[in-house]
Amino acid sequence: MKRVLCLCCVCEGANMAAPLEVIVSSDSGSQLWNSTVFDLHSGSSLLSYRGGNSSARTLAILRGEFLLSAQLGKNFINMWEIQRKDQLQQKIVCPGVVTCLTASPNGHFLAAGVAEAIYLWDVSTGKLLSALSRHYQDITCLKFTDDGSHFISGGKDNLALVWSLCSVIQLDLTHTTDPRHILGHHSLPITDLHCGMMGAQARVATASLDQTVKVWELSSGELLFSVLFDVEIMSVTFDPCEYFLFCGGSDGNIFQVSLCGQSLGRDRTFQSDNDGNQVFKGHRNLVTCLSVSMDGTLLLSGSHDETVRLWDIESKQSIRCLSHKGPVTNAFIVAAPANMFLPDSRPAVPLPRFSRHLQGSEADGGEAGEVCVRLGLCLQAEEETYLQKADRLNSLMNAVTDKSVFGDGENTKVRVAELEEEVQTLKKINKDLYDFSSQLLTKPT
Amino acid sequence: MKAKKKKRQDDFQKVKLKVGKRKPRADNATNTSFRTKGIVLPEQLTRDTSGPTTHRRLGINDLLSQLHHYNANVKHSALLGLRELLSLNPSLLEQHLSRLISEVGAVFTDKDANVRVASTRVLRFIAQSVPADRVAPFFPLLSAHLSCAMTHIETGIQEDAMNVLDVLLEHYPALLASRPAILLTNFLELISHRQNSGSVKKAHDAKGRTWALSVCPNRAVTSQQWRLSVLLRLGRFLQAVVEERPSQAGDISTPNEGVFDSSRKGRITPLYLNWEELTYSKTGVKVYEHSGAKPSPRSTFRLRPEVDTGAGMHEGLDSAEAVQTFAATLVPLLLEVWVEASASDSPWNNAEGAHLLTPDTMSVLFQVLSILQVLRKLAPQQEHQDALDAWFHKEYLGDFEQHFMKNFPYGSQDTPKHKKKSDLKRSKQTAAIPAPTVEPLALNITLCQVMVSLSQRQELGHETDGDWLAPLRTFVRDTLGSGVKLSYRQLHMLLGTVWKMVLTHGSKTVTDELLAAVYVYYKQKHLTLQARSLLLSFYSKLYLQEQGHTHISRSKVLCRWLASLPVQLSQIGHRNPALSAQLILSIQAAASRGNKDLLNSLQTHACKLYDPQEGAVVLLPSETQQQMVHLLYFLPKMSPSLLANLSCCCTTGRFSAGLAASLIRIIHFRSSLGGWSVGNQEAALEDVEYISFLFSTLTGFSSDRLTSLQEVCDQRIRPCSPLSPLSLYPTPLEQFTHHWDIVEEVCHCLETLGSKSQCFDILQNGISKYLTRLGVVPDSMAAGLLRAVSRLLDPSVLPIDPVLRFLSQCCLSLLALLISLQQEAPAETKHKREAIWGACVSAMSTVPRLLRMVLQSMRVGDLSEEELPQLGQILSMLLQHTPLHNQLLANAALLQEIIQQLTRYSRGVTREQWMTDLLYSYSLTVAHSSSSHRGNLGLRDMY
Repeated sequence: MKRVLCLCCVCEGANMAAPLEVIVSSDSGSQLWNSTVFDLHSGSSLLSYRGGNSSARTLAILRGEFLLSAQLGKNFINMWEIQRKDQLQQKIVCPGVVTCLTASPNGHFLAAGVAEAIYLWDVSTGKLLSALSRHYQDITCLKFTDDGSHFISGGKDNLALVWSLCSVIQLDLTHTTDPRHILGHHSLPITDLHCGMMGAQARVATASLDQTVKVWELSSGELLFSVLFDVEIMSVTFDPCEYFLFCGGSDGNIFQVSLCGQSLGRDRTFQSDNDGNQVFKGHRNLVTCLSVSMDGTLLLSGSHDETVRLWDIESKQSIRCLSHKGPVTNAFIVAAPANMFLPDSRPAVPLPRFSRHLQGSEADGGEAGEVCVRLGLCLQAEEETYLQKADRLNSLMNAVTDKSVFGDGENTKVRVAELEEEVQTLKKINKDLYDFSSQLLTKPT
Repeated sequence: MKAKKKKRQDDFQKVKLKVGKRKPRADNATNTSFRTKGIVLPEQLTRDTSGPTTHRRLGINDLLSQLHHYNANVKHSALLGLRELLSLNPSLLEQHLSRLISEVGAVFTDKDANVRVASTRVLRFIAQSVPADRVAPFFPLLSAHLSCAMTHIETGIQEDAMNVLDVLLEHYPALLASRPAILLTNFLELISHRQNSGSVKKAHDAKGRTWALSVCPNRAVTSQQWRLSVLLRLGRFLQAVVEERPSQAGDISTPNEGVFDSSRKGRITPLYLNWEELTYSKTGVKVYEHSGAKPSPRSTFRLRPEVDTGAGMHEGLDSAEAVQTFAATLVPLLLEVWVEASASDSPWNNAEGAHLLTPDTMSVLFQVLSILQVLRKLAPQQEHQDALDAWFHKEYLGDFEQHFMKNFPYGSQDTPKHKKKSDLKRSKQTAAIPAPTVEPLALNITLCQVMVSLSQRQELGHETDGDWLAPLRTFVRDTLGSGVKLSYRQLHMLLGTVWKMVLTHGSKTVTDELLAAVYVYYKQKHLTLQARSLLLSFYSKLYLQEQGHTHISRSKVLCRWLASLPVQLSQIGHRNPALSAQLILSIQAAASRGNKDLLNSLQTHACKLYDPQEGAVVLLPSETQQQMVHLLYFLPKMSPSLLANLSCCCTTGRFSAGLAASLIRIIHFRSSLGGWSVGNQEAALEDVEYISFLFSTLTGFSSDRLTSLQEVCDQRIRPCSPLSPLSLYPTPLEQFTHHWDIVEEVCHCLETLGSKSQCFDILQNGISKYLTRLGVVPDSMAAGLLRAVSRLLDPSVLPIDPVLRFLSQCCLSLLALLISLQQEAPAETKHKREAIWGACVSAMSTVPRLLRMVLQSMRVGDLSEEELPQLGQILSMLLQHTPLHNQLLANAALLQEIIQQLTRYSRGVTREQWMTDLLYSYSLTVAHSSSSHRGNLGLRDMY
């Protein structure tokens, strides 16, 4: 709600009517653009960012101020200020080829998968907080929960690991951190994962080459259910209400699985085909990215057949087809960042240089033990109890009455002097008036 | 009147008596010649009509009231009667359960031994027939009687109370274990007594110990046997307590409860769905009960700590402190029992024979150890258990080391022959104590387990426990390495010991030594399936634990074991599917972690495993097949021979089309053309090999098979004729369908390769190189080729002539086949006909020249009489197919010529139905194109 409100303010400020939600997509073949921003509803191209090509699952928006993406086949991350489309702001050099990249929803942390290791940076200082190497093979996808308390990594070693952010960030470098849960029922590499709403109580969907999509409970790490398909599943997403699970297959079909079909379809039983399990047909090759709009009516899919399609979920029709120059590597729907359409805006805080090594190995001993802790808004100060509030209010009221009725010595004297002075003035005026009128009356006409 | 008089006279006739005759005996004389005897009434005369009775006609009320009789015999017989009555009428049991239990329980403490025995029997009978939930309301009463008997002042009653306890432990362990507090004290009191609180001085020394072993000289059995029997029950009771705990799934470090069982299930049973079932809405998913607002009870997140349900009183063993207190009381007693028992072995307690024990002593030690073992597990939660272990380590390690480890390992002592007599006597005495004889092996293994559980995780700078662990290690190693026959349970315990040792000791040599011993055992040939799968899961669990334990991951034995897995799999194959499945799981785990040893070994044995004839992949059940197919993904390199095998696997139909399709897709993903690549993974196969794999899968027949088809004379092969220029080999319907599905998949893979024209070029090269020479062609292959051509052809590419000729021959032959199939078996070949027709038509519509060549090769002049109607049917079918109209019209001249010839050749015969149909559809086609300026002319000519 808050986000929508602040977007409205942006709309007023901008001279053109800025869209609320935009599509950000990139492909691996385009010579001119790295990534492009489209309007969700009109499909018109709004912005394009130049320089290189992004590799799959590495496009991320940081704090609504920066756009990040890993260069295809290279070991650095490109970074743009979100309003300056032409100019590459910075390159973060990484120890290896970046296979996936994500930023935490509050914009404080940046996580990247480099070969088997997960690198986690603190955005405000640019320090590398930890390099987690629990995966045995390359990491394919990384996702934060919507409250940023956990993140999940999926790899080619068939495992998905759930990490608690606070256990990962710690000063003691000798201590190896263990993931909170290991989700290990897949038998082939994990291709994509999606984390639902509700923070630590979310459900996580993982898709794999073993033709299954499995849905897990994040808090306990238990497998809830598993759906077996005819083809390998390359991408997966939920709609915001988690009514449906969308799975992009390697043959170009998108499968929609109803998650609460029975209860939902009670008043629609006469239509046998309307029970929620449907196929979206249109792509001709791997569907690599899926995303659902905020209101759950539109589905975005990017495919290796070099198109991005927008589907109406209700009617299962392809509304729009945005063609690209190469296999689509990233495509998602995102609420338009405030800065995106204000060419004059600046990021609130400039980005620091991102370090390549863990703090311990660096030479600057003075700062080694320092870690930046930022609390969320609600956590910043301890909430006052009602009793304390009442106390405070009471004392305030007392102070007012004390001051008005009794006052203190110094004040009273000044005040009395003032009042006496005023009495004098009034008396003088009164006397003047009396003199004047008596003079007027006694004057002989 | 006269007659009346006469009659009256007859009434008073005189009896004439004569002298010398005897007086007749009077009718009413009393016979006094009898004797009397007492009457015994063993059964009631009056029948108790209220219910069933015993053979003595005693009802249940009588019997129960007789239990209060002062005479022991009466009580005894009443109990016997009860048993009889209840076994005859089980319904009585349900009606009178409460009274029965209270009355029978009351005689547990009877003074007469026979009565007690009988009451135990009745109780056993009741327990056998009443389930635990029905006894539950009466159980407090029962356990009160039990406690009463256990604490009775008479030793005989105490001893018999053990039997009662046995019955209850056997049938109602849960009920008994739910309130352990009182019983535990009772147990302690049976073998010991509380130190007098008056003797304060004594209470202070020896760690404030307040309990001391007691000796009761007037018992029927020796105090050692008595203690043994009490300890036996105590052990069972504690075991029951442990088992009744709500178990925590997935705690790895308890080595006893099914750690190595491969079937480790999650706590929530997941739902497994299938897309097909979902689309036909056979099953529904319902993920969110309570609309997903609350996490499941298994969630590890807690918003607030759980509120204590109890009234704040920690009863029994529910808390860690309580367990610890109990252990603090019990362990010194146990040690004392053992010390006394070992001391009684004094005649042999010299230097060399100290480790030899008599059977009695051995069973005492065994009981002591098993109780210690159970005590460990009593802790309510995992973290408590670790704390308890640490506490044991701190408090008792010294004692244990001194008393248990001094003479380890123990052996059994051969009992000298002359003691047989006393043995007999003793066995009579101890008849009531069913103490099992204990093997020294089991004893030693248990001791190992108890001691090893004490060893702590070593940290840097911590002093080592090495001196007492060394003999244990030696023992474990020798036992496993020497090939002694072990029972499943013993093996389980030994492996648990090894597990703990390996995990707690960071040294690589120790780990390797132990694992090598296990490996020796593993390599034995005659292992049972159960033992083998246990060993397998031991290794695979150990391998999965390697993270964070570098000494494990670097262990050579483990590497060797991993490398040997593919060989084993190829050896076991289909003979034991369960074991194979387990092997595959382990292989998969290692493969997904990219273990070099395993992958190399897998690669060398891949050809054998994926052999299309006798490889494991075709012989195992379908789920395992799927896993094996998944394994292919992890192969670093796929050799051409392996690919040939795989292609054969796909085409021969030994596994389902769906699985074959997923195999093809997996190879697709592993090729450089796969499209999905993350990081820098090398392609497992060269593009050339990949394409040749696809091509050979597309043809569906190996080259050997094709050459043999050319030579062999099979009845089923349709001979070639002018109408079908190739002789077709009709594949069975099943194989045709299978191949058709695979062709679709291959086409999809080829389509995604990238440039369509190059792709088609490759295809047509392949056809011209390998297939155009063929005279006998399987129909599935012909249809598949046509399908592939139509799907892959780029409009800009012009197919070369030889290929087109071959394809047109295929096409015509297939059309001829279609007609004959339609005539022979229309119903069952519907799918096949549709497939063939679709393939032909789409190929002809995408390649106009193909249609032309087909038409050209219809040489009417060469046809025999019977083939003319067939050709006519083919033509009319083509004409009726609207998408082909344009192409047909482009070849109108050719068409017209054919039809003219047809009419000419069939002129001799009367005009038949097919001819009419043909002409009609021809006229329709031609008329449809209104702009035709020459068509009608030709038609008129014909008529």
